Amino acid sequence: MDRLVSKVGKNRNLVLVLAISLLGFVGLLDIFVVDKVFAPIVYFYIAFGIVLLLYGVYPLYNNRRLTRYYLDRTKRNRLAIFGLAFILFLILLAVIGPFFTLDPTAVSFEEKNLPPLGFTIEQSVYDAEAGKLVTVSVPGTIRHLLGTDNKGRDMLAMLVSGARVSLQVGLLATLIALILGTIIGVISAYLGGWADNILMRFTDIMMTFPFFLLLVFIIFIFGPNLAIIVLVIGLTGWTGAARLIRSEALSLRSREFVLASKGLGASGSRLIFAHLIPNVISLVIVIATLSIPGVILAEAALSFIGLGDPTVPSWGTVLKAGQQTLDTAWWVAVEPGLMLFLTVLAFNFLGDGLRDAFDPKSGL
Amino acid sequence: MDITLLKVTNLRTYFFTRRGVVKAVDGVSFELKRGECLCLVGESGCGKTVTALSLLRLIDSPPGRIVAGEVRYDRLDLITCTQEELRRVRGKEIAMIFQDSQSALNPVFTIGDQVIEQIKLHLGSEEREARRQAISLMTEVGMPDAERAMDYYPHHLSGGMKQRVMIAMSLSCDPKVLIADEPTTAVDVTIKAQIMDIFRILKEKRQMSLIFITHDLSVVAEIGDRAIVMYAGKPCETGTVTEILKHPRHPYTIGLINCLPDASVTTTRLTSIPGTPPDLIGLPPGCLFQPRCPQAMPICAGKEPQESVVSEGHTVRCHLY
Repeated sequence: MDRLVSKVGKNRNLVLVLAISLLGFVGLLDIFVVDKVFAPIVYFYIAFGIVLLLYGVYPLYNNRRLTRYYLDRTKRNRLAIFGLAFILFLILLAVIGPFFTLDPTAVSFEEKNLPPLGFTIEQSVYDAEAGKLVTVSVPGTIRHLLGTDNKGRDMLAMLVSGARVSLQVGLLATLIALILGTIIGVISAYLGGWADNILMRFTDIMMTFPFFLLLVFIIFIFGPNLAIIVLVIGLTGWTGAARLIRSEALSLRSREFVLASKGLGASGSRLIFAHLIPNVISLVIVIATLSIPGVILAEAALSFIGLGDPTVPSWGTVLKAGQQTLDTAWWVAVEPGLMLFLTVLAFNFLGDGLRDAFDPKSGL
Repeated sequence: MDITLLKVTNLRTYFFTRRGVVKAVDGVSFELKRGECLCLVGESGCGKTVTALSLLRLIDSPPGRIVAGEVRYDRLDLITCTQEELRRVRGKEIAMIFQDSQSALNPVFTIGDQVIEQIKLHLGSEEREARRQAISLMTEVGMPDAERAMDYYPHHLSGGMKQRVMIAMSLSCDPKVLIADEPTTAVDVTIKAQIMDIFRILKEKRQMSLIFITHDLSVVAEIGDRAIVMYAGKPCETGTVTEILKHPRHPYTIGLINCLPDASVTTTRLTSIPGTPPDLIGLPPGCLFQPRCPQAMPICAGKEPQESVVSEGHTVRCHLY
C-alpha cells in the first residue's frame, strides 16, 4: 500500500495527465453519446478532487513531519479548527446530503409553515365543518425536522441543496478569480517595467469598477443563470488577489534562487511556473479561504434582491422568501441566515488560522 | 592551456538611479584561458559582483544597463546576442555560483528535484539517468550520503552543504567557465578549506576555467593564476597572482596585502587602509584612490592615470609608474 502510494506520488504529473484524460474521455462519452448520466460539473469536481489528492493530500501524507507541524500550529487556534470542522461538515452535507433528504422542490400545501421539531406555533386554519377560521397549535414533526416554508417545502432539504449551491459558487468563482489573479500578479511582478504598469493600472480600473452593478446589468441581459453569476464574480474578483500576489512575487523575484536559476539558463516561463508560482501558493491558499465567504455572500445578496437563479434553491432565495413570512414563520428566514453566518464565519476563522500557520514570523 | 575562452573588453555597467549615475563597472577588460583561474579582488562595493553578473547579462534593468563593452565567448558577443542564444550559454557553457547559498536554492523543492531538473533541462536525460547523474555529481562535490540528501529540502541542510549543492548544480552541464561569487564567504573556515579543495580538483581534473570573486587574498594565493584588483569599478592592477602578491605596485594593492595579519609577527592592531571607498555617484576627476593613497602626488587629483605595463603581463593604473 505504502509502496503504491509513493509510486503514484513520485509520478504524479504522469498520473494526473492519465487520470484527467481518462476522465475527459468518459465525460465526453457521457455528454455526447450516453446522454448525460452525470452533469458536466460532476466531472469537473472529480478532476478537482484528483488534483487535490495528488498535489494536496499526497505531499502532506508524504511529509508527515511538516504536516504535523502545520497541524500543530493550526490546532493552537481553536477557532480555525472549528472552521475547518464546519467546512468539512458542510462539504459532506453538500455532497451526500441530497440523497437522504426529501425533494426540496416538492410543494405540499397541507404541510405549509410547519415549525421546526420541538417548536409549536399558533396558526389560523379554516375549519370547513364550522365554516370559520379557528386557531390551532401546530407542532413540529419528525418528517420535517427544520419545518417547512409557506409552500410546504422541506426546509432541511432546501438548506442542504442550498449548501451545494453556495459551495459551488464559492469554490468555482474563487478558483477562476485566483487563477487569473495569480497569473496576472506573478507575470506583472516578473516582467516589471511598462508591462507591470499596464497590468496594475488595468487592475486599478477593474477594482474601481462597481462589480455589483455589472452583475445586475449582465443578469438583466442574459437572465439569472448561476453559471453566468459564477463567471462574472470570478472574472471581476481577481483584482485584490493579483495585487497581493504581485507584491509577494516582487520580493521573491529579487531572491537569489531566481537569479541563480536564470544564471543557469532557465527560461522566463520556467522561472514563473517553477520558481515564482510554487512559492506564492501558501499566500494563494490563504486568499482563497478568505475570499470564498465574500463570494458566497455576494451570491446570497443577489438572490435576496431577486436576481439569483430561480431554478436553484440557494440560501439567498430561501432567505428572501422567508423575509416575507417573518411574522408567521420566522424559521424560514432564520435558518438559511444562520447557515450563511456560520459558513462565512468558518471560512474566515480557517483563513486566519492558515495565515498564522503559514507565517513563520507569527509567534505561535 | 593557451586557448582563450572568454575575452572581455572595456566592460561598463552603469546604474541609472534617481540620485545619479552609478558607474559600478567602468572599463574592465580581461581574457580567460582554458583551465585558468582568474580572481577579481577588491573591497565590498568595488564592482566585482556586478562585473560577474554583467558577463551573463543578469543585471536588473532598469536601473542597471551595460552601456559599453564586449564579452566574447566562442564567436558570440554575450552583450549583444539574443536572449535565446544567451540562454544556451548560461548554465551550459558559463555557470555561476552565488555568494549566499542560503537563498540560492528554491525553498519549496527538494535538492534532488532542483539538481535533476537542471540536468534534464540542459542535457535532456530521462528521469532515472538524470537522478543517477545527480547523485554522482553530489558525491563528487563531497556531499555525504548523496542518495538520501536528494530528498531533503534546502532548509534541512547547513550552509556548506547548500554551497555544495549549488556547485553540483552549476557543474551539471559541465560548463567550460565557472563564475564563483565569493563562494567561501558565507561558510566557516573548515568548510571553506573543503570547498576550496573542490574548486582545485575541478580546475585540475576538468580543466575548467574559473572566475573567482573574492576579497580574501589568502583564497587568491591558494587558487588564482591571474588576478585583477578592482577599486571603485575600475581595475587598478592586473597580473599573475605571484607577481601581484610578491611585487605589488599599486598603493591600493600594497594596502590590501598589508592588511593581512602576519602570523610570524605579533602585533596588537591589524593594519587597515584609512577611509572608505568613494560614493560611486558623481566621481571626482583624477585617480579614485587618491584621497586614501599614502603616496598621493599633486597630479593624482587632476588626471586619471592610464594603464602602464610594468612587466610581462603585469599592468597597473597609477601615476607612480
